[in-house]
Amino acid sequence: MLLEVRDLHVEFHTRDGVAKAVNGVDYSVAEGETLAVLGESGSGKSVTAQAIMGILDMPPGRISGGEILFQGHDLLKLGADARRRIRGQEMAMIFQDALSSLNPVLSVGDQLGEMFVVHRGMSRGDARAKAVELMDRVRIPAARERAGDFPHQFSGGMRQRIMIAMALALEPDLIIADEPTTALDVTVQAQVMELLAELRRELNMGLILITHDLGVVADVADRIAVMYAGRIVETSPVHDLYRAPAHPYTKGLLKSIPRLDQKGQELYAVKGLPPNLLHIPPGCAFHPRCPMAQAVCRTDVPPLHTVSEERRSACHFWKETLDAR
Amino acid sequence: MPEQKPWDDATGGGAISGAGAGGAMDLAMDEGTTLEKTPGGPEGTGPTGRPRSLWSDAWRDLRRNPVFIVSGLLILFLVVISVWPSLIATQDPLDCDLARAQEGSRPGHPFGFDGQGCDVYTRTVHGARTSVTVGVLSTLGVSLLGGVLGGLAGFFGGAWDAVLSRITDIFFGIPVVLGGLVFLSVVTSSTVWPVIGFIVLLGWPQIARIARGSVITAKQNDYVQAARALGASNSRMLLRHITPNAIAPVIVVATIALGTYISLEATLSYLGVGLKPPAVSWGIDISAASQYVRNAPHMLLWPAGALAVTVLAFIMLGDAVRDALDPKLR
Amino acid sequence: MHAEGDPILEVRGLVKHYPLTRGVLFKKQIGAVKAVDGVDFELAAGETLGIVGESGCGKSTVAKLLVHLEPPTGGVIRYKGEDVTKLSGRALKAVRRNIQMVFQDPYTSLNPRMTVGDIVGEPYEIHPEVAPKGSRRQKVQDLLDVVGLNPEYINRYPHQFSGGQRQRIGIARGLALNPEIIVADEPVSALDVSVQAQVVNLLDRLQTEFDLSFLFIAHDLSVVRHISDRVGVMYLGRIVEIGTDEEIYDHPTHPYTQALLSAVPVPDPRAREHRERIILHGDVPSPANIPSGCRFRTRCWKAQERCEREVPLLAVPAVLRDSDSPARHDSACHFAEEKHVVPAEDLREAPGGTKTDE
Repeated sequence: MLLEVRDLHVEFHTRDGVAKAVNGVDYSVAEGETLAVLGESGSGKSVTAQAIMGILDMPPGRISGGEILFQGHDLLKLGADARRRIRGQEMAMIFQDALSSLNPVLSVGDQLGEMFVVHRGMSRGDARAKAVELMDRVRIPAARERAGDFPHQFSGGMRQRIMIAMALALEPDLIIADEPTTALDVTVQAQVMELLAELRRELNMGLILITHDLGVVADVADRIAVMYAGRIVETSPVHDLYRAPAHPYTKGLLKSIPRLDQKGQELYAVKGLPPNLLHIPPGCAFHPRCPMAQAVCRTDVPPLHTVSEERRSACHFWKETLDAR
Repeated sequence: MPEQKPWDDATGGGAISGAGAGGAMDLAMDEGTTLEKTPGGPEGTGPTGRPRSLWSDAWRDLRRNPVFIVSGLLILFLVVISVWPSLIATQDPLDCDLARAQEGSRPGHPFGFDGQGCDVYTRTVHGARTSVTVGVLSTLGVSLLGGVLGGLAGFFGGAWDAVLSRITDIFFGIPVVLGGLVFLSVVTSSTVWPVIGFIVLLGWPQIARIARGSVITAKQNDYVQAARALGASNSRMLLRHITPNAIAPVIVVATIALGTYISLEATLSYLGVGLKPPAVSWGIDISAASQYVRNAPHMLLWPAGALAVTVLAFIMLGDAVRDALDPKLR
Repeated sequence: MHAEGDPILEVRGLVKHYPLTRGVLFKKQIGAVKAVDGVDFELAAGETLGIVGESGCGKSTVAKLLVHLEPPTGGVIRYKGEDVTKLSGRALKAVRRNIQMVFQDPYTSLNPRMTVGDIVGEPYEIHPEVAPKGSRRQKVQDLLDVVGLNPEYINRYPHQFSGGQRQRIGIARGLALNPEIIVADEPVSALDVSVQAQVVNLLDRLQTEFDLSFLFIAHDLSVVRHISDRVGVMYLGRIVEIGTDEEIYDHPTHPYTQALLSAVPVPDPRAREHRERIILHGDVPSPANIPSGCRFRTRCWKAQERCEREVPLLAVPAVLRDSDSPARHDSACHFAEEKHVVPAEDLREAPGGTKTDE
């Protein structure tokens, strides 16, 4: 198993109290597999990823429990230096907004080359050649000429490719992509996702794709973990999830998205609002919005029940959810 | 089951996390710029569920800030004794007796006497009035003049903005102290007004720049467009929408500038072009005392110390105000 | 004169060019950003027209021009037969009452220093003839109720609400003057998925209840299809294809529309194998430097010499003029041809499992 997150807990200490951003999250990614982590605001999906990468803002954030096993080693027990070495070499992250993730005063060639100079000890000249090679690989036209350009001179889609190039430079084993295409136009999104899929196949990397877009997930994921209020509420292989969701939240999401190929009547709407992490509802965090909520949901936190060999659902009534069509 | 109104949203959900909680959390938990940021229910804030404006949030933060409390109390004290110096200094600052010149402290005269035989304690206390008056009035003048000119330039843009920017450029190029020496040396009056006038004349460009930038930023918000789409007049947009949202940086800079204006007055008085005797100013006292520093340091120490503490108090206040008004959306 | 069946809004040749200048004191124009470069469409009473396109296509600029936030460089906008682009002063103010806007970003479209009651009530302060002073508070509370918010929150401030609720407040503000047309510029893009459906449903309901006409601008093709009667596709400042939602989504004839539709991810994993993906090459040209002839030709797989010389008109393509098929709608392409891009119905089942053929 490439990455295994076990019972992770992350808190934020704010002026108004302690916000529990991540409340006991378990998920795993195998080599070469694409895991999609699906969730909305406040679900904790980004915080989990930042904890894995080790880039969480430590005050006010705090990892209050759990393990993150990367190739068998618990990252949380490693020192800062060791984590830094892993970051970039074996684990890389792609962010949503390339413009603010790239250094605006360094040329693109320099930024890409820096990876090789720092981690592989290459000379500047060699590193620059490698950088151009990378830019070619992510299909940036006229790579050699453009290696001296600055991030703002590229379009949004190109910048995202450059970020992908930076992430892939040292051929990591795991890539975490946090909403990589949310800010992009749909045609550019298609280009970028296609590129990512191709490169991932080529290098046999594991990919954690964090998103809220059910369409993108359907396109690229092998397995899906759905998060809500800092917990995993459902995990499943991709086909099973769409065909027959086992958690009311997943079901609600799937039913509420308008579809390109259908013109429906009124959209199904999940009532209520995403939870406030300072005051997570007791019992099942989803119960105020759940059409199937009963008394037990208000008091008991549902554990992850086994739906089938590869499927889990954190709902007291997963069977009823599954059967109801 | 009673009919659920559409707004009974977060029945088990929590209270609102206001802008306060949102601050730190947003940084790490911003789940993408296109998603909702601070989730919350429509219920009240805090136990009473009362509406909370951004100003009251800022005030709440300010009250808890020890820097604000300390500087606030100090300034309050300074203001009180500048209005009623006789509360703590019963003697006349101009009651000088050369026979007592440069004498050290003795009962009834804790700070001793200066070169003219005047009571240093009394003069120090009365000097506060000058400094506070000059500081406050200059700041008011600068803020009004600079705020209005800069704000209008930022709002209307175009030629107004170009002209104003060039004018402020010119003024920025004038060295302040040198300018003071030149302009104020022709003034014979010994009151505070020429000094205040000079400070306002040279100080307004700084505020104008801030105001202009702040107004331009505020103008870009959709709610200004929304008001215009409704048919709002320019004056309504300026008064209702732009000013309340653009004023925070101006307040911060003005508060800090207050401290520097006090220091400037002292400098000008020290150089002999600011206030002149019989006016009482720390600058004058410092100037007179500087030659006796070796023999009778108390003459210099007390006014200089008072000046430093006063300037510091205002700058600290400005810092605290900035921290309170700074978090996003304030 | 405006007759009963005439469109409530008619836009012809709408143009907005932003000049690019050089020089500090005496500015010389060296070019222009052609944000909107000749747009024609009609909006019928009670209809929803969706405008889709990607960033830079000019759809947001069209929105601003319609509510007169910016003056057009050319063209006409006819509201009930009268050209409103030339109006000013009191006449313009009167027209503003009838065409209102809902903005995209719930975090910047409400003045953070005003209470919700003030925000929704401001239209009445600007147009006092719509509501006499005594009745305003009641009207505001009614509006809050209509959009699904508790009227007791009239004294709260925007930051005390979530994004979806703020958007509702913005919608309430837009309804205050009883407009006939609402221009919604990406009203749900900034909201969480689970909240988007709530707001879309609300807009739908309000349209029926208040007899509104909508111009719905968005980049999310699925949402647009759901709410619109007709849809127009914009590219680089012009409409390249326009028709009913069925015509556009099921029978697109313009290559850009086809590429756009094929790029939208469908929430069904089985579509992976069955779907034909049209991946466009290259970037969108800059609106300051629009290609000659057909502006899409630099990325089009069908581009030929004619496309460089001749600007294609937005009209029913010649080859389809005599046919009866739904592909017979306006399209700006010399080589327009129908192509099914959205995966056909029978290959999937609706998500959440409504069919049981597994």
